Amino acid sequence: MTLETTKMKNGLRGLVETAAQAAALIGLWWLCDAAVRAAGLPIPGGVAGMAVLLALLASGALPVGCLRLGAKGLLNHMLLFFVPAAVVLRDHAELLGSTGLKVLAVIIVGIVSVMAGTALAVELHIRLRSRHVR
Amino acid sequence: MSANHSALFWLAATLAAYVVSRVARHYVRAWWTSPLLLTCVLCLGLTIGLHAGYSEYMRGGQWLLLLLGPATVAFAVPIYEHRALIKRHWPTLAVGVTVGCGLAFGGGWLLSGLLGLSQEMRLSLLPRSVTTPFAMDFAREVGGAPDLAAVCVIATGILGASLGGMLLKVLPLRTALARGAMLGMGAHGAGVARALEAGEEEGAIAGLVMILAGVTCALIGPAISLLES
Repeated sequence: MTLETTKMKNGLRGLVETAAQAAALIGLWWLCDAAVRAAGLPIPGGVAGMAVLLALLASGALPVGCLRLGAKGLLNHMLLFFVPAAVVLRDHAELLGSTGLKVLAVIIVGIVSVMAGTALAVELHIRLRSRHVR
Repeated sequence: MSANHSALFWLAATLAAYVVSRVARHYVRAWWTSPLLLTCVLCLGLTIGLHAGYSEYMRGGQWLLLLLGPATVAFAVPIYEHRALIKRHWPTLAVGVTVGCGLAFGGGWLLSGLLGLSQEMRLSLLPRSVTTPFAMDFAREVGGAPDLAAVCVIATGILGASLGGMLLKVLPLRTALARGAMLGMGAHGAGVARALEAGEEEGAIAGLVMILAGVTCALIGPAISLLES
């Protein structure tokens, strides 16, 4: 077999594996979503599914290699899954006017304060801790 | 167009917009080729050009939106793989996420109230600095609009990536932990991409902080909805 066909075969196998693992994750989400709804719990199915999967991985019941590719695939392309929600702007002409500017102000002030606050808190915590150790 | 055809059409159009944005990013690295911005603009432009409303677009778009649930489940894998990092830095990470979420939720609530925004808009703005699947779940639980929340998250990501770059130059941050936490907390996915440009450690921390902020948000949401009821 030439190198090219080997490469293509490996690429194809990776794609099939990724798709199968992503399908398994979709199945797990579907099960957890149904269970949460049936139990009437106030948490989203995805969050419940994440907790279940984390417990399965941490307990060693499920090796992480079984799902690594699928999880990576879903997370790398997550942008594609939420972009449709942005089209809701079609129904919100008011966001083109002063309301939109206010929202933008909240967002920009928010970004700067959250980033500066988080960074300084983390930096300060590390400095205090290293002084403590000494 | 029949209902089924338009569903398929909008699904395919969104996929095409995504692929075009990714390809554009590959060849041109400019602010306007941010896939987050470009995919949104292309989809919006297409619906305006073809006179389609949100509900018609959503016949196709809803199928993509549905995949955010499984994506939330998938976050368990990077959490598990970063367990050593969590173990080593958990007090610092906890400080960063607590301060960050406090400022994001508290500050956002106060400022949007001062500006006189509607209750729905205020609730949808709350989770803007949390990655989209968690933010949309949160908005759904507390009585905001999930799709408006997604718009706020997207705007925060687009603006946060560039504002974060500026803050990196201005703030005297000596540790990769502070730089990563800042970008992951302030601009979720877009911030993680920016952090990866600053360094591998920054990127890993940013990714982890983004997920931890999401989990925190997932815990706050049901608590608020219980308080409301």
